[in-house]
Amino acid sequence: MTAKRLETGGNIDRTRPVTFTWDGKSLQGFAGDTLASALMANDEQILARSFKYHRPRGIMSAGVEESGAIVSIGSGSRHEPNVKATSQELFQGLIANGQNAWPSVRHDFGVVNNLLGRFFSAGFYYKTFMGPNFIRSGPFEWCKGTAIWMQYEKIIRKAAGMGTASREADPDSYDQVHAFCDVLVVGSGPAGLNAALTAAKKGKDVILVEQDFELGGDSLNESSSESKEKLSCLVLAVQKAGVRIMTRTTAFGLYDNGTAGLLERVTDHLAEPSRCQPRQRFWTVRSEATILATGALERSIAFENNDRPGVMTVAAARTYLNRFGILPGQRIVIATNNDSAYTTATDLSNAGADVVLVDIRSSSSVAVSSGVTVKHGVAPLKALGGRFVTGVILARANQLGWQTDETLDCDLLLVSGGWSPVVNLLSHRGMKPVWDAGQACFLPTSLTENIVMAGSATGVWNRSECKTSGIAAANSVMGDKTVTLTQPTKPQTPIEPLYEVRLANKRNKSFVDPQHDVTSDDIRLAHQEGFVSVEHLKRYTTLGMATDQGKMGNIIGLALMAEALGKDIPQVGTTRFRPPYTPIAIGALAGRNTAHHFKVLRRTPLHSWNLKQAATMTDAGLWHRPWYFAKDKETISEAYVREATTVRETVGICDVSSLGKISVQGPDTAEFLNRIYSNAFAKLPIGKARYGIMLRDDGMVMDDGTTWRLSENDFLLTTTTTNAAKVMVWLEELLQLRWQDLRVHVTSVTDQWAAVSIAGPKARDIIAACLEHPPFISNENLPFMGVAETKLKGGIDCLIARISFSGELAYEIYVPAGSGENMMDLLWATAEPMGGCLYGLEALGTLRIEKGHVTGAELDGRVTIDDAGLGKMASPNKSFIGSALRQRPELIRADRPQLVGIFPKDRQQTFNGGSLLCKVDELSGFGEGWVTAVTHSPALGHWIALGFITGGHEKWAGKPVVASDPVNNANVEVEIVSPHMFDSKGGRMHG
Amino acid sequence: MVDQATALNEYLPLKQFSPSGELGVTLEKIPKFCLFQLAGWPDTMAQTADAVIQAAGASNAPKIGQSTVGDKASILRVEPLKYWLISDQPMTELPTLASEVGCSLDLSHSRSWIKVSGTEAHTLLNHFLPIDLRHDQFIEGHVVTTAFHHVGITLWRTKEHYNLLLPRSFAASLWEHLTQSSVQYGVEIK
Repeated sequence: MTAKRLETGGNIDRTRPVTFTWDGKSLQGFAGDTLASALMANDEQILARSFKYHRPRGIMSAGVEESGAIVSIGSGSRHEPNVKATSQELFQGLIANGQNAWPSVRHDFGVVNNLLGRFFSAGFYYKTFMGPNFIRSGPFEWCKGTAIWMQYEKIIRKAAGMGTASREADPDSYDQVHAFCDVLVVGSGPAGLNAALTAAKKGKDVILVEQDFELGGDSLNESSSESKEKLSCLVLAVQKAGVRIMTRTTAFGLYDNGTAGLLERVTDHLAEPSRCQPRQRFWTVRSEATILATGALERSIAFENNDRPGVMTVAAARTYLNRFGILPGQRIVIATNNDSAYTTATDLSNAGADVVLVDIRSSSSVAVSSGVTVKHGVAPLKALGGRFVTGVILARANQLGWQTDETLDCDLLLVSGGWSPVVNLLSHRGMKPVWDAGQACFLPTSLTENIVMAGSATGVWNRSECKTSGIAAANSVMGDKTVTLTQPTKPQTPIEPLYEVRLANKRNKSFVDPQHDVTSDDIRLAHQEGFVSVEHLKRYTTLGMATDQGKMGNIIGLALMAEALGKDIPQVGTTRFRPPYTPIAIGALAGRNTAHHFKVLRRTPLHSWNLKQAATMTDAGLWHRPWYFAKDKETISEAYVREATTVRETVGICDVSSLGKISVQGPDTAEFLNRIYSNAFAKLPIGKARYGIMLRDDGMVMDDGTTWRLSENDFLLTTTTTNAAKVMVWLEELLQLRWQDLRVHVTSVTDQWAAVSIAGPKARDIIAACLEHPPFISNENLPFMGVAETKLKGGIDCLIARISFSGELAYEIYVPAGSGENMMDLLWATAEPMGGCLYGLEALGTLRIEKGHVTGAELDGRVTIDDAGLGKMASPNKSFIGSALRQRPELIRADRPQLVGIFPKDRQQTFNGGSLLCKVDELSGFGEGWVTAVTHSPALGHWIALGFITGGHEKWAGKPVVASDPVNNANVEVEIVSPHMFDSKGGRMHG
Repeated sequence: MVDQATALNEYLPLKQFSPSGELGVTLEKIPKFCLFQLAGWPDTMAQTADAVIQAAGASNAPKIGQSTVGDKASILRVEPLKYWLISDQPMTELPTLASEVGCSLDLSHSRSWIKVSGTEAHTLLNHFLPIDLRHDQFIEGHVVTTAFHHVGITLWRTKEHYNLLLPRSFAASLWEHLTQSSVQYGVEIK
């Protein structure tokens, strides 16, 4: 191939030269070039090495179906492998490199694989490396087995494959956007443009999507100035009609209810992309109607060495000539089985090339220029040339198959094996295309959805008919019942199906799927080995599984399989195309939901205040909560022990704003609560709080918390942080589906309140100092479980409840969220001088473990109210959610695991959360129980834990148990004790 | 009128950012506002509506998915049985309802209110909200509850603005999403 840029012609902007780098070499193209066209203009021929055999590969097409010119672009963190040079828009400073080759794609030592090609046939990996791990006889049998495969894999991955992704973090951002329209048109060829214009003129909101950076589709490949002028006028009309035009955007998938997935490449074509712009946008478009004017792709033909650089499709040559102003070869042979190649032959001849057109058919009604030599009845048998095409051996069909004919010298061999309408998107909707033997291609069938195909995607090849087809499609999706969709064109001289040319019984490398190095022999081998299903064939040979998803090779593969099976192509069927139509960067799928935005962060109203006090934060679901407040370079262990000790001895303040808070209002609220809690709530007095246990229907514990009665019909229900949303949904469900007669409203008020717990012997003193009316907090005015509204100094409205999770004298204070920081300033200014502390989740955990109070660690969905030692809270005098099923025999077995406290026998030892509790002589299986939470207890001076063990603590009193951690190989002998390990009578919190 | 510290104070420096010189989006935080919920029962919605109309100084109560602007407050019909009254002007007290009519609740601190305007406002919001926000579809007065990064939020349209009510605890995180995505259009933050 001796390509050269012509002095004139094409759509490129010759006033804007573009410098780029190919394998370290500085080259020049023009604005409007693709990387492939610019490389071709610089006569770069070997652009890649093939997947398995490392055969040299060049440009095979001019679009997304490319299987040859697959390269890497960019560098560093923006290095991107497996880019189709034919789709990559050229820009100033573009860096492109060959891949899967060493030292370069022009001189690749990996080509030795080509010599060993006979061993790399279909199923090579399965046959060679998979199997049992023992030695057998025969070639390669000695190296079978999973273990040895793990070693070979590293070598094979390096030797065979494609490009390598950057190991650096992606520096770009990606957006995900929703859009809506009346009509979505995919493709901007003659059919698409006319469809969009027709719909827009009828007042429809139209989105027109084009994967290329220019509108026009195949119209861009026209040679005449008249055609270019017509296209410009049409595009202008579409713009004026208000069509929302999205170029550089691929419709990669169609989904339910008129939903389409689009990928917009925003900055991939820019030399210096703005940091404000996302690299790509992932669009979810919902449209009332969809028109698919997705065009058709030209097929190749399988013959020996059909992958040589210098072999490409006929349509590609026309694109490079007429759109990019490049004469792709000087001595050109065009091999075809249909009429479409004739126009290209004329164009190339007119541009100065010597053109020989070989047509397997005996005649054609299409005229060519006088400079084109036409030979009928022959087809390409073998491309000649080691690294580039230098000639082609032709073959002529006879009764036995093929016989060798003449040899032609050439530097470019163009092939057209027919056209395949791009039915991929409609296939996503479950449409099964039907084989049209007359046109030798699959054509789309209709759907019940409002999706219509138009143009050459429906087998309409003539340009004017494509225009008519687009208009008809638009009218059809807009509800015109009278419109008749344009039917497929019947060419004057029919296509002669031709998929492979080879001499009988001769093995060679003729490629069906060049990107995965799948040959026609591989297809036949799969058949010989018993594969009859096209789906199995695909997976065994990997046909159609490369990044082009079978755009180049599927039809040839099916045809060869059909031939081997002695069937017709329709009987063999086709695989279903699945999204995406072209590859999508993982970053686009992730959007902006990465790093710290991977999940949305919940901040309490005291978040900033806590950080100012040097809180170390930790995740608690979506929340960030203070974990501990380290002083003077304390470790977490030192900090939480100090904090828990301070709470027991003086006072501590803890942010508990994340607790779920639900306002429950209405005249039937008391009855409602009485039904959802296991204990009695019907007569809870105003100004009182009560601890409640909520069960699921199946009798297992769902959640716990306190509920405060603020007035006759106004309650505040609190939940655990973890279960807040779950409980809210549950209450809504009960009210809407089961108890519609109850006049109750539930509203989440979690975010309305900032909440703190003040715990410790001096808690009352601290709060009293902060109240406008200190006597309010006296034991008489606010006894244990009392609730009241009052004001903090400065007029801050607040709710105070005397409840304790730590086991100390404790209160919870709720203020409107916006007053949270004011409250903390007030409380901390009082508590700090009195020796108080701020404490976090770690100390909170210690305090509750000492008291045997349960949390989500214990209430994990497998626990009954009796298991948790709270059976007395299940009222026998009423019915409540779960009251029936909690009586199932399995749930009332005496030997069920029950909540216990755990001490190490040697008090100096520690053991791990999650350990299994086993008998000393049975350190296996699931043991007798498990450890849910561990901590160092400042109050007791040693390690303690909560857990569950069969029969409870009384059964195991005095019996040795081992806390076994098989993961860490740690076994510690422990004692089982009551879960109420500290102040079991509760004297401190009543103090 | 509550004197509240918003969830966005530390994430909201006043600024403009416009790489192209154009401002496609304006984001405006409403620092102080009142948000009251008035909820009725299926057979008392007419009475509840009367109370809402009176409290808001409006001429009518909106239908489901609609809003009405009154002299004292706007009314959003956020659920079949629930109205929200919202105002950035002082409202004296939480309106009360007799228990047989319904119940009221102060939610003023539970949300962060952001107004979004500009030529690219609906495009920006469609980065996150799967709602048809085209000007002729999501017209003035429309109210929806939708999901923003999996978080339930309330959105309604006034003449000039799209209004977002974000749950306070999520507001800062969602605000970061909004501002980061808005710079590509040119943004003014108030």
